Amino acid sequence: MIYSADSADKYKERGGLKMLKRNFAKVLAVVMILSTMLIGLTSCGKSAETQAQKEIEIKFPSFWVAKDSKAKVMSELINQFNEQNKGKIKVVVEEIADYDAYEDKMKSNIAAGTMPDVFIFKTGAMAEPYYKSGKLMDLTQYYNDGWKNDFLPGVLDSVTYNGQMLAVPYEYGVAPALYNKKLLAEAGYDHFPKTYTEFFDMCEKMKAKNIVPAAQMTGANAWTSMLWYSQLVVAIGGPDVYKNGLDDPAFLEAAKMMQKLFKYTTGDAVGATAAVTAGHFLNERVAILLNGPWFIGRIKNEGINNMYDNVEVAPAPLYEGGKGSEGGYIGFVQSNIGAAKQTDKNKEKAVVEFLKYLTKPENVEKLSVDSGSLFVVKTNLKPKDGKVERLQGEMIEQMNKAPYLVPHFQLMVSPSVGTEFPQALSSLVLGEKTPEQFIEALKAADKK
Amino acid sequence: MRKISISDKIGMILFLAPAVILFTVFFVYPVGFILVTSFTEWDGMSSPVFVGLRNYTTIFKDPIFRLAIRNNIGWVIAGGFIQVPLAVIVALMLSKKPFGWKALRTIYYFPNVISTVSLSMMWMAVYNSEYGILNGLLKILGLGHLQRNWLGDLHTAFYSVVLYGVFYIGYFMIILLADISSIPKSYYEAASIDGATKIQQDFYITLPMIKGTIGTCMTVAMVYGLRQFEQTYVMTNGGPANKTMVMVLYLFKKIGDFKYGIADASAVVLLLIGSLVILTVKRIFRTENN
Repeated sequence: MIYSADSADKYKERGGLKMLKRNFAKVLAVVMILSTMLIGLTSCGKSAETQAQKEIEIKFPSFWVAKDSKAKVMSELINQFNEQNKGKIKVVVEEIADYDAYEDKMKSNIAAGTMPDVFIFKTGAMAEPYYKSGKLMDLTQYYNDGWKNDFLPGVLDSVTYNGQMLAVPYEYGVAPALYNKKLLAEAGYDHFPKTYTEFFDMCEKMKAKNIVPAAQMTGANAWTSMLWYSQLVVAIGGPDVYKNGLDDPAFLEAAKMMQKLFKYTTGDAVGATAAVTAGHFLNERVAILLNGPWFIGRIKNEGINNMYDNVEVAPAPLYEGGKGSEGGYIGFVQSNIGAAKQTDKNKEKAVVEFLKYLTKPENVEKLSVDSGSLFVVKTNLKPKDGKVERLQGEMIEQMNKAPYLVPHFQLMVSPSVGTEFPQALSSLVLGEKTPEQFIEALKAADKK
Repeated sequence: MRKISISDKIGMILFLAPAVILFTVFFVYPVGFILVTSFTEWDGMSSPVFVGLRNYTTIFKDPIFRLAIRNNIGWVIAGGFIQVPLAVIVALMLSKKPFGWKALRTIYYFPNVISTVSLSMMWMAVYNSEYGILNGLLKILGLGHLQRNWLGDLHTAFYSVVLYGVFYIGYFMIILLADISSIPKSYYEAASIDGATKIQQDFYITLPMIKGTIGTCMTVAMVYGLRQFEQTYVMTNGGPANKTMVMVLYLFKKIGDFKYGIADASAVVLLLIGSLVILTVKRIFRTENN
């Protein structure tokens, strides 16, 4: 603005500096508003530009990243998918390495109505709220187009809710005992005990030799110990034990056994997390760890003293007088892949294309061979065919021979009971609660 | 008094609008939402169902929630009555600018630039029963009988988690130190001429002059104690046997169980207790100017 002498006089008359400040404030306010609008318009322009390119972006938050045994191949598969669909579909992975943090984030997203396009979630009782939400894509028509033939018989029942097939069952888990035969040999054992009597005898002998028999934990979701408890409950009460709920005496008896098991573990078991128990096993500080096939990759890569060659797999021991059978296995669909309902049909098709790509038998084979994980998709892999990794092959063989496969405790009870289990377990093993009170605490959590 | 013109009013509204809108969207609305949903049964995914006061009766009947309140009170006391007084003592000492005071100031403040999660992981290693430095030190000192699983023991877990938090006084120390440095030197010179010792100067000049700031530090420390989460979540996840449970972790776990109604009811209780603590501290530390 150019001021003439006349306008300068008028300016002085109006109040000089004060007026300038007031005008400046108003101008500044208008500039701020205009800037905000411009930013908005710019982003609109960007989205219009994106639409013009017509590349559909699929957001996929994943925990199959970082140290996860499937991370490498999963990343390769997604890159390959993006390459094959260049300009049409792009899968963008959001890496969340921590499983618990991942789960919390998914729950928050869903509650906030910002469900990701594709995501991983748990199965069993933990999956029910997702199914109930009405926010998952109904995949029934796509399964009926022949896609369902790619899956093992019966597994799609677990993702069927009110007649709709709402997710893709994916990873399968078994939880046998992984044991270090070198440490067992030091205690005079050349095989894994078949019964609990023999098992506790071995624990005593190991203790005498300063070997810690088994890893236990009560931190986070008490994973390893929860698997021991699951195994015990079925070994005592038989494969149908969950039909009677927590009133079945097997749960109480299993609690008593857990107290005993905690006498043969590390000093930091109460409060220990899965990372701690894994660290103990991988560093040969404990001889036995109950865990699944996904752990094989870590034994190979992180185990000290070439420990992989010393690790063997066995079904957990038999409980004499129990209703379980020898060789019984804990087996469960470990993870589902879910997809958010889409309003855009093209995006829905793109999401389904990606899901089908992930479940292609050849892709699943690659994942399985590299990570040691098992899947519910039919593949041509056979134990001992040269492609399948040794420990994974043993697990598949034992699983095939198993008289029953029963999911673990956390999948069979309500989320509240699953959350309370680690706390109740620590009370139990620290002597604050009796086994009876332990069961009462779990029942109380169910009612809350 | 000058009358405000319409154009001035428009200007004021335009300037205030962003703050008011942000406050409404990110505070008033969420608090209102939490209050409303605290009277419902809601899994976070389906539609909420009104259940009256049931969620409130559920949490107050729950011994774990009552324990969480007790633990939070413990955190509040530790923050307000141990951490802040420690910060005051250190700030008073450093304000005299002894040898190496700048280095000490940096050292005390340093943990504040490290994330709580990293510090918690470090302290987990310190407390570890198998290879932790604490048990190692006890063994060296011939106090092996005191060795334990500090975070896994019913009697020591809570104190172990609180203890590490209490010693990080740097944040409050810096605030207090800044306030002390703004006190005019002439006060001390006059007191010195009158024969007052350094300790008397601290008690009769410094402490009364920084009373308001101490109150602010106590409020912040106590509110932190009430919203305590990260340390507990990382170090114990509320265990063993819920002995270290705090209110925020309790509501976090309820969200994990898809019990948003109960989680929101506990959030409302937390808000009420927090407001009560803030009002009490403000009342105690009310100065003549305020």
